[in-house]
Amino acid sequence: MTFIEDQIRQTARKYLENDEVSCVIGYERDTRGRSRPVFIESVDQVDRLVWGPDCNLNLASYLHERKHSPGKDQPIPKTAVVLRPCDTRAINLLINEQQVARENVRIIGVTCEGSEINGSLRVDCEFCQERVPPLYDDLILTELPVEVPESADPYADINEMDQWTPEERLAFWTSEFDRCIRCYACRQACPGCYCFECVAEKLDPHWVSIALEVPEKMFFHVMRAYHLAGRCVGCGACEAVCPMDIPLGKLNRKVAKEILELFDYRTGDSIETHPPLVCFNPNERLNL
Amino acid sequence: MKVISQEQLNLWLADLLKQTVVVAPIEKHGKIQYQEINSISQIVWDFTRPELPPRNWVIPMTEPILFIEQGPTTVLKQPDLPHEKILFGLRPCDSRSFKVLDALFWDKEPADPQYARHRQALTLIGLACPEMWDSCFCTVVGGAPDDTEGLDILLTRIDDGFAVQAITEKGQALVSGLDLLQWSGVPADPSEARGLPKLHESAEWAAVFKDVFWKELSHACLSCRVCSFVCPTCRCYDVRDEVIAICPNGKVYERLRAWDTCTSMGYRRIAGGHNPRETQVKRLKNRFYCKFMYYPEDFGVLGCVGCGRCIDACPAGIDILEVVEKVDLKLAQAQI
Repeated sequence: MTFIEDQIRQTARKYLENDEVSCVIGYERDTRGRSRPVFIESVDQVDRLVWGPDCNLNLASYLHERKHSPGKDQPIPKTAVVLRPCDTRAINLLINEQQVARENVRIIGVTCEGSEINGSLRVDCEFCQERVPPLYDDLILTELPVEVPESADPYADINEMDQWTPEERLAFWTSEFDRCIRCYACRQACPGCYCFECVAEKLDPHWVSIALEVPEKMFFHVMRAYHLAGRCVGCGACEAVCPMDIPLGKLNRKVAKEILELFDYRTGDSIETHPPLVCFNPNERLNL
Repeated sequence: MKVISQEQLNLWLADLLKQTVVVAPIEKHGKIQYQEINSISQIVWDFTRPELPPRNWVIPMTEPILFIEQGPTTVLKQPDLPHEKILFGLRPCDSRSFKVLDALFWDKEPADPQYARHRQALTLIGLACPEMWDSCFCTVVGGAPDDTEGLDILLTRIDDGFAVQAITEKGQALVSGLDLLQWSGVPADPSEARGLPKLHESAEWAAVFKDVFWKELSHACLSCRVCSFVCPTCRCYDVRDEVIAICPNGKVYERLRAWDTCTSMGYRRIAGGHNPRETQVKRLKNRFYCKFMYYPEDFGVLGCVGCGRCIDACPAGIDILEVVEKVDLKLAQAQI
């Protein structure tokens, strides 16, 4: 048990013992040693909780399954969730969008050393300056202070992509989306993707063909990136779950960069700020 | 046992490639995939199992199964006949999956016409696995790393070449022109006893249908389609008539068939909006019961070949082998 795991388990125990929540969502190790989400509902199970760089989903996504009353006259369940700083930004987003009520969530925020996908540190984490969650109920500390990387341009790779010709960009993304199998894991793992019926699957009107071919796949991903404009928190869950290793973070970071430049806006700073593309502000001045 | 050297095998394959379409494991985007090849040099010989199953060659991810042209009289056209193909380098679990699919689409009347056209055009050449990898469990579901089920020919790597077993008449005809050498050895047995769980008979699964562990298991399920899309035996599809052209006489439609799966939210939704499998637990449970109970009862074969792809691909860490183990445990407890 590591220093971090000890604190996570103690916090989970506290919440369950006091009956403050009915479930703690965190990570456990499976029998093959890999991390996976776990739903702890009783105190005797808290020792299953673990932490590591491969804990790379955004567990806030699971709150969508728990945001409604489970039955007549039953209260909406209260849930504690283990989250990284970027993950907690999704909570701000979901509160702002009235999906989740603050009083129903307990945030076990972990001081972040960065997360890994397939054993490599995520690009976002290389430059991330935010190691402490902007929102938490319990702060989980690291044994040693986390070194914040020297300030560098977090969008260096995006700037490079911006230099490509439109043809080069199209060729790059066509090749990436060619191997997409339209499994929707990226969408399902995303805290910001919670439409009851996704445009990609809507039957009436039938916007997108059921074909699993490049045009449909590209449409799906570009549409999703647009719907997440100013709403993506950069947690990287989409990329972590992709079975075909498509660099979806790169697409979302491109849009995030545009939103930052146009609106000086970063997703999930607080519960008060509305994503720029989902509200109307008559005094809005674009930084064009 | 008959054997062939790597050099002779390459020559034979190069010759086949001149006559027909050959699909083989190659490296694409850093992953091993079954793909049509242009050259023998593309073939990867040392691999675990390709990322996606070979069912794309009998049930393509997307396929028009009919063209409908409106006009004074409506014209219906079938798509062109598929080209003859050799699927080379199939892992035995993958070749076994064809027998599973055949049971539903081909063996019973009425056969699925489009499936039958694809299936008849295929020759299956397998490459035995040298070992069982981490998530493999073919031996639990009746297979083996050197299983010949579904294959026309099985190749097994030996020290200086490959042992050749022609399984079917089609396979025998194909190797008949080859100058095979005699070999007195026996290939090593790649099966491994590693404490894999016992799979219960389909009828026994009914007893644990209402067990609470399904609910616990399904909490983490994202209701995505990964497990089914990497599965060699999942075969559910969606069909839509989609407009492809508008002519003076009316519209031209294609009837598209594309992969779909019971694990996704909208799959079971019906006219009027009711969804009999609205919750994660019902959807996830259906996938496992389909494999281990419904399919064997309806079609006489297990709906799983033990390739382990879903174990590796599931973003939520749901492990089909853990499910098999859990069912075993629950049934054992019920006995006491």
